[in-house]
Amino acid sequence: MTFWGFMEYAAWALSAVFGLYIVTDWLRTDATYPEDVLTSSREGEIEAMTEEHRM
Amino acid sequence: MSDFDITSDTMDGMGPHGTKVGLLRVLGPAHVWALGVGIVLVGEYMGWNFAVGKGGAYAALLACWFAGILYTCVAMIDSEVTSTVAAAGGQYTQAKHIIGPLMAFNVGLYLVFAYTMLEAANAITAGYLISEVARLTGGVVELDQRPFIVLVIMFLAWLNYRGVLATLTFNLVITAIAFSAILILFLSTSGILGAGETHHAELMAGQAALPYGWIGVLAAIHFGLWFYLGIEGTTQAAEEVRSPARALPFGTLAGIMTLLIAATLTWYICVGLIPWEYLGDGVNGSVAPLFDAARLSGTPALVWLLGIGTLFATLASANGCINDASRAWFAMGRDKYLPGWFGAVHPKYRTPYRSIIFLVPIALAFALKVPLDQVVTFSILSGLLEYTFMPLNVILFRRKWPMGVIKRGYEHPFHPIPAIALLCLCSVAYFAVFLGYGTQLVAMIVFYIVASLWFHFRRYRFVSRAAQFTMPWPRPKGY
Amino acid sequence: MSRYVPPKQGRVGQFLDVAVLLAMTFGALYAPLYLGLAGSSKSVPAIGEATWESLGQNATQVAQYQALGLTDPAAAAPIILARYDYGFSWLALAVMFVVVIGYYVMMLRLSDREYRDVIAEKFDGSNGRTRR
Repeated sequence: MTFWGFMEYAAWALSAVFGLYIVTDWLRTDATYPEDVLTSSREGEIEAMTEEHRM
Repeated sequence: MSDFDITSDTMDGMGPHGTKVGLLRVLGPAHVWALGVGIVLVGEYMGWNFAVGKGGAYAALLACWFAGILYTCVAMIDSEVTSTVAAAGGQYTQAKHIIGPLMAFNVGLYLVFAYTMLEAANAITAGYLISEVARLTGGVVELDQRPFIVLVIMFLAWLNYRGVLATLTFNLVITAIAFSAILILFLSTSGILGAGETHHAELMAGQAALPYGWIGVLAAIHFGLWFYLGIEGTTQAAEEVRSPARALPFGTLAGIMTLLIAATLTWYICVGLIPWEYLGDGVNGSVAPLFDAARLSGTPALVWLLGIGTLFATLASANGCINDASRAWFAMGRDKYLPGWFGAVHPKYRTPYRSIIFLVPIALAFALKVPLDQVVTFSILSGLLEYTFMPLNVILFRRKWPMGVIKRGYEHPFHPIPAIALLCLCSVAYFAVFLGYGTQLVAMIVFYIVASLWFHFRRYRFVSRAAQFTMPWPRPKGY
Repeated sequence: MSRYVPPKQGRVGQFLDVAVLLAMTFGALYAPLYLGLAGSSKSVPAIGEATWESLGQNATQVAQYQALGLTDPAAAAPIILARYDYGFSWLALAVMFVVVIGYYVMMLRLSDREYRDVIAEKFDGSNGRTRR
């Protein structure tokens, strides 16, 4: 197999590895933590805290 | 959900009370610079030269400076508003607080589409570059570019998934290398170091000066935007910088200065080495103009340096685009403008991981299935709609909360001149787009109109009203 | 009047909303293609035998083309001679500006209506108008 032919397969393989990592970690995270913890982020958090400090 | 409301002491839904897992505050001004310049610098390596094709070499320079003024206004306005409204989502969050929910929804879509499509275009360019390297090093007739396009997107998505600090530190390094490559090429070809190799007078002689006349200058502005498109993306990092009121204006304004320098140098190098017809044809002629300029210099080291610079610029841009598009998508999910499922933060890596994952197949579809010029045009036009929103935004911002009513991290000078200038420049840019791409513009606005109606009449019912206004500001004047 | 309580959206509804949005996006990307309206192409006038002189290239320009690998003037001719056509109709221009301005006017008006609700609920604790 030529060098670049090998590189094509290597690129496919690496893409699959990154993809699999992301998907397995995603599914594991979703299964481990409750939904209300994962989606608990709220906008404007620092603004509220700096206001508290100023008061 | 209405189980929180920041006006209440007991259920304000934030800080230590509400957020259990939020985005991580780790970035400094250098990261903001890297995010802004990283997204844009690829425009110097490819794409801007279409402006030369649309109007000739001098037209491209005028377009470059004209767009430079436009973007300086963008950067100043953005710095003021975002240093005051520091939240992920950037202009989306600004629009929500200043103009209203429907505008915010549209702005959010502009952001996500502009960035995701730019990401796809970058991945395509990276794939093309690798196939060029394969061709030049011999042995391959026709390299399959698809695995490399997919690899670029998957690798950068993985990097983004794993955490923002590593992502933007990576961007800082490769952006700095790509910017230095332009400086080195300028120094070595312009005659400052060694003999000069540029031939400006001869290459721009006769009809080559302004081949289309002045209408060509107007038309060139369409692609003059490429020199800077995306600098406004710095605001997406607002929720992740340690000190937004300081770092965002500093990083954004340093970024626009870097780009003004890079854009002018790029123009000077390229038109001094490459005949304008070849330079301006980004498809059959000069796909990567700085790389071609390095080839014409005849120095192998410069060819390598600019080849690497081009690849790094595409990677940095795609990387920043994934970062920005996912923040905007996440912020909309968090407010239920989009399904709330997307408003999740990874408990360990502290990134908006579901938004990052969701946008991967979309970017792949844009990169592999949709023709490149459609993608690029849609991306530019979404950007243009966003710049039209900005002056309206800042005028209403100053009117609803006059100076002194709230604390601003940065106050831009000469208001309202930058806003009015930006609005005029945008009208000219619409005309430039109209010369050649009018039907796409109308098709795209029809899309945004349909999406707006869908949001107003269907999607908005899932959004709680008061809770989306999260800034601790007094009541806006006149409401 | 009490504050507005949005309904909770189920998984299926969330999925459908994303599907609708994506369908609209790809529709907007492909529609100009299917209607044959996409892209602005240059046109190349027909020419006979191309020489560097007939293409109007001076010595420096010829040298740069040769350095780029285009040694044959016939190969460079399509690149050199291609031009855009900037003729346009004022009617089409007017239509475009009406569409753009109309879009912003519609959006600002609807946004303002929604914004007043938000401000009323936030600062008065109640929603002025009942809208489901």
